[in-house]
Amino acid sequence: MTPDYPAARADIIDGIFAFQIWTRLGWQEVKRRYRRTVFGPLWATLSLAIFLGAISFVWAPLFGADVRTYLPYVTAGMVSWSFVSALITEGCTTFTAAEGIIKQLNFPYSTFAFMVVWRNTIVLLHHLLVLLFVYIALPERLSFNILLFIPGLIIVAVNGAWMVMLLGMVSARFRDIPPLIGNLMQVMLFVTPIFWSPSQLGAKARYLVDPNYLYHLIDILRSPLLGDRPALLSYAITIVGAILGWAATFAIYARFRRRVPFWL
Amino acid sequence: MATVTLDNVTVDFPIYGSTHMSLRQTLFGGMGKLLGREVPKQPRVIVRALENITFELNNGVRLGLIGHNGAGKSTLLRVLARVYAPTRGTIRLDGRISPLFTSSPGLDLDDTGYENIKTCGMFLGMDASDIKKRVADIASFSELDEYLDLPVRTYSAGMLTRLGFAIATSIDPDILLLDEGLATGDARFAAHAEERLQHLIARSSILVLASHSDAMIQAICNQCALLEKGRLVSIGPVEQVIDLYHRRAEAQAAAVGGAVAVS
Repeated sequence: MTPDYPAARADIIDGIFAFQIWTRLGWQEVKRRYRRTVFGPLWATLSLAIFLGAISFVWAPLFGADVRTYLPYVTAGMVSWSFVSALITEGCTTFTAAEGIIKQLNFPYSTFAFMVVWRNTIVLLHHLLVLLFVYIALPERLSFNILLFIPGLIIVAVNGAWMVMLLGMVSARFRDIPPLIGNLMQVMLFVTPIFWSPSQLGAKARYLVDPNYLYHLIDILRSPLLGDRPALLSYAITIVGAILGWAATFAIYARFRRRVPFWL
Repeated sequence: MATVTLDNVTVDFPIYGSTHMSLRQTLFGGMGKLLGREVPKQPRVIVRALENITFELNNGVRLGLIGHNGAGKSTLLRVLARVYAPTRGTIRLDGRISPLFTSSPGLDLDDTGYENIKTCGMFLGMDASDIKKRVADIASFSELDEYLDLPVRTYSAGMLTRLGFAIATSIDPDILLLDEGLATGDARFAAHAEERLQHLIARSSILVLASHSDAMIQAICNQCALLEKGRLVSIGPVEQVIDLYHRRAEAQAAAVGGAVAVS
């Protein structure tokens, strides 16, 4: 397969400029959830809230932690995790779900990747509501550092876009990847510091936590929500990761883009 | 001025069997040998769907594609639509392509009729103001009126066809690609639909239509191409090519019949 860089570049640029379509498709999906039930995606938010409430009161004593620190930590962590993990698991079905369009029309495939990122961003904004209750109960967690959530969100979204494209592509070719990724993400939920903090691991954290890319993605979202500043290391790693990830995805996309309709 | 130029276009289709679509089998298939339990590897099949197709179409051409099932008509349409990239050869298109293979790309059953008009319209290349201008026309032609506020899930099959057809035929095509069977509900609607289809075709500068119906090709097209097993057998005046198609079909039938008689 000879790489076709101009076609891949055109696909991605046209995809970005098709924002009228991907924003609309993303919204429509959220609206459909609202149409089925009054609270729509807020049901997911509610179940997250119940889960977090229950787990905080059981696990805080288990870890010997104060509920007043543990509850906001787990809440901010899970809200961030649900965004990152949804991007990765839903990314796998990006192109297979768009089969109908891809096989009928010459349409920039990247549009569907941006749609997945956009849709999950809207869902994330719903989930932030849970944190609102945490802030009402514990106002001291709120600080100006929360403004750092916005650059964090942008960095994670840019990372999410290449992950979604790449996973969408390989999952179209190998149909057993989505369940594999699903299993992997279940493991990662416990390996990544969400329910526990790296400080509890002591010195070992360096080997277990620092190489975990997901941890850095979570950190740049979670820390601002807790009123803290994320580690500079996390910014460095995720920005470099975004650049390298896009470069790799672009190279693979240039090589295999034309195969995508044949795989579907 | 629209033109379509195909130069020696060949399209190979890799057929992926279930073992090829499994990453685990691809990575660990070899281990079966060690364990003495091998999952038989399906042979990797590549089907040549189109072979060395060369032709040029200029403004005003209405080309009919004929041939048996599997001859490559749909693949050729999809190559023209730029859905499938040719394995070899080049394709040049001057003009905007409007493929209408299914009537409603992006249709979602949970959305209302109006929402679907907007989504499908966007996929068909209309912008928001185009769609706004056409909504009334689509609503009246599909005769759905107040039903357009309901989710299309509640529509009958006929209503859904009417909606899709009304949306698809509201575009302003340049190079129009049609797969047959884009239509049509009950008999009364069929008459309406035919007229609307005629208007759509009249607005286009080039038409390529795949069809099994001689009558449809004769009524609409001014040129005809016969495909057989992915090869372009003939392209030329409609009557001549249709005639050739029937003669070859008869000859094949006779050959098969003869073979049966001998054995």
